[in-house]
Amino acid sequence: MVEYASKEPSAFAEMLGGLIGANVTARPEKKRDFDTLVARVGIWVTDIDEGVTLAFDAGKLTVYNGLEPDRTITIRAEAETVMSLSNLKIGLFGMPVYYDKVGRGVAAKLVQGKLKIDGMLQNIATLNRVTRIFSVQ
Amino acid sequence: MAIKAFTDEWANQLKDEVNKSDVYKTAAKGWKWTVGLVVEAEPDKNFPEARGLVMDLFDGAARDIKLGSAVDAQKCDFVITAPYSRWKQVAKLELDATKGMLQGKLKLKGDLPTIVRYTKASQELTVCTTRFATEWPDEQ
Repeated sequence: MVEYASKEPSAFAEMLGGLIGANVTARPEKKRDFDTLVARVGIWVTDIDEGVTLAFDAGKLTVYNGLEPDRTITIRAEAETVMSLSNLKIGLFGMPVYYDKVGRGVAAKLVQGKLKIDGMLQNIATLNRVTRIFSVQ
Repeated sequence: MAIKAFTDEWANQLKDEVNKSDVYKTAAKGWKWTVGLVVEAEPDKNFPEARGLVMDLFDGAARDIKLGSAVDAQKCDFVITAPYSRWKQVAKLELDATKGMLQGKLKLKGDLPTIVRYTKASQELTVCTTRFATEWPDEQ
């Protein structure tokens, strides 16, 4: 289900791959999203200068060390914000909840420019699906 | 008076600080797993043998925190392993524990979604180690 492009995946790559693998295995609703998602998602953690590319391919995920070309969405934020993204609650109609404490914090970072999401407007449905797969809530 | 790092007395003091923390009490509500911290030896830093900190944390409180061997700590539900000097950086807030894990400076074993759900609690746990003076073996 989750593969690593490099023989020596970074700790960050292993953590994200492990997190998504565990989420999808334990939660059928996340597995449904995972099985239909086709997208290349970059995540760059600005305060540790490390990133990954998550290449979702309808039920298979390949995790690359660093940012690879042709990404659908690229998320850039500090480590704490990236962890907050994985703590977003999922509400009605599978939409991430932005009105509780964690959600408001994430929204504020977006407004302040401390969370940047390239490709967000064109790919809002994909972003929501990635958020659902990524969220541990 | 400063307490020697990673000793029984240090473990007891940490337990007291955790139980005094309202932030931890709220952030760790629902937590029900043991956490082992493995402090790897660094003889050149006057820390010649690995030690383990065994933390019995339950629903926002520390039921027990005690010093043990590295093997004792490795039996816990969640195990975080790092050399002595890394733990010292964490306890002095020079290294954020979350960033340390993302960078592989701290090695985590355990269910990832669970630990991610309690990021705030683990950060507060780290802050608790700074609320009392510590005597570090390599600074003696």
